[in-house]
Amino acid sequence: MQQAADYWRGIFSQPETEKQYKRFIEQADRDLHAFLTVNLQPAADGAAPDPAVAGLPFGVKDNIAVQGMPLSCGSRIQNGFVSPYTATAVQRLVDRGARVAGKTNLDEFGMGSSTGNSAFGPTANPWDRTRVPGGSSGGSAAAVAAGMVPFALGSDTGGSIRQPASFCGVYGLKPTYGAVSRYGLVAYASSLEVIGVAARSAQLLEDVFAIIRGQDEADHSSLAYPEPHQLEEKEVKRIGVLGGQLGLEPAVAEGYRKTTQALQEAGYQIVEVELPTMEYVAAVYYTIATAEASANLARFNGVRYGSRPDYAENPEELMRTARDQGFGDEVKLRVLLGTYVLRSGFQDQYYLRAQRIRSAIRNDFARVFTGADLLLMPVFPVAPFLQGEGGLDPFQQKIADRFTSAANLAGIPALAFPSGVEDGLPVGMQLLAPAFREDLLFQVTRRWEEEHPVARPPDYPGFPAWLEKAGKGA
Amino acid sequence: MDVSELYITAELAGIELSQDEIPHLQNAVTQMVEYFSKMTEMDVEGLEPTTHALLTKNRLRPDSVRRENGSDELLENAPELEDRFIVIPNVL
Repeated sequence: MQQAADYWRGIFSQPETEKQYKRFIEQADRDLHAFLTVNLQPAADGAAPDPAVAGLPFGVKDNIAVQGMPLSCGSRIQNGFVSPYTATAVQRLVDRGARVAGKTNLDEFGMGSSTGNSAFGPTANPWDRTRVPGGSSGGSAAAVAAGMVPFALGSDTGGSIRQPASFCGVYGLKPTYGAVSRYGLVAYASSLEVIGVAARSAQLLEDVFAIIRGQDEADHSSLAYPEPHQLEEKEVKRIGVLGGQLGLEPAVAEGYRKTTQALQEAGYQIVEVELPTMEYVAAVYYTIATAEASANLARFNGVRYGSRPDYAENPEELMRTARDQGFGDEVKLRVLLGTYVLRSGFQDQYYLRAQRIRSAIRNDFARVFTGADLLLMPVFPVAPFLQGEGGLDPFQQKIADRFTSAANLAGIPALAFPSGVEDGLPVGMQLLAPAFREDLLFQVTRRWEEEHPVARPPDYPGFPAWLEKAGKGA
Repeated sequence: MDVSELYITAELAGIELSQDEIPHLQNAVTQMVEYFSKMTEMDVEGLEPTTHALLTKNRLRPDSVRRENGSDELLENAPELEDRFIVIPNVL
């Protein structure tokens, strides 16, 4: 959106406002802790500016590499690590004139739904600081919602962009698997994850996606993105919704009902669809994700980089102790689970069975998309929950990933959008499309954005109003 | 899952578990493994396993020499170096 881009370029056109902006980020972050590193980079020399993003600062989740900056992954085990190179998705934005503003907080290695699993302390939700911003890309979503950056990159393995976007009241895109290069993304579950975007503007989200997508020779799982003329021309007419008992909290159920009604009033035909495999999604997702994680995280052993004990009896003990001291509870749990489901004798029962059900889940979506152009689903069954003990326990958080992780298992794109505010907290819904049909998602969100402007959190009216309101101005 | 199974798994996972974290991890792992057993309710006859949702074939690059090399930058992250060797603590 040109307007948003011009607003941001306006800030940086004058040294005084740029200084105020930097003060805003620092002061706001004392309460929110959205960033692990704030380090606003100058626009790159030789960039070929794209008016959509040129001059705009953006946040980068701290499991995505930016040369010369830490890559903590929210983990103690990465202590002291400085990234020797830059992720392709980040580089593509920098090449178009965008500026890295810093690295955002996350659940350790992307494992969690609250950002409370970060070794460096939790991020607060800008709507209510006693509540979680969601996770694992909670820092990225909170930074965008508080107006600290117009957009931020995150990664989505099982909902890690969409759920925090929903909790913070912004847009969040999980692209088609392979649409964005994963080069420079620290691997958690390689067959599921993809780099995506959180933004306050649906148009900016679309513009950023257009820049970061496309094949990359450094990532062999990245796929050539079809040119517009290669896609069947299509106007979204029918949107599927799930019937039956979905186990939603009242505020979310109300949000789902209202959004369905609003889309119907906007002229879309609503059709009820079924996803019979939905009840297995969370079990399948956690079997596959933890199995892949147990292999991917084997590289963190304190030998070549990161933290390690001062003393060990033998090399194996050095590595085992480095991992015990360096990994948090949730990471240990998932590595143990993944190791267990891959153990000789258990593979058929867990991992292989999960992969077979994954085929059934893909078939379910393929069938749904013969009767509907898009599918509307809740993002998360509950509204942003309280930080710490008063919130959802880790097991409940996992089971609640069923609506988001389905898209990762099927490899299809999904876009979370702010559908409204219930009881002072944002509620998001998501639209899902067939692979490579992000264009259909944008068709709907472009209209949605026009008719439903994104609400700002009351305490974060945007810069520089925040500085004035907080009495922290120049 | 009994404690001996947890130890075998931790050994395979390369994680040294301290005594005080065992009860909690044992409960958490058991809870999830029990949850996974839900998958046995479904008939998977005739379903091929999906390893990657959209990948159909391996993509290979030409087998050619390249001069770019980030090894110096990578070595800078090592906790301790002797020339171009990574030093680990003394082990017996």
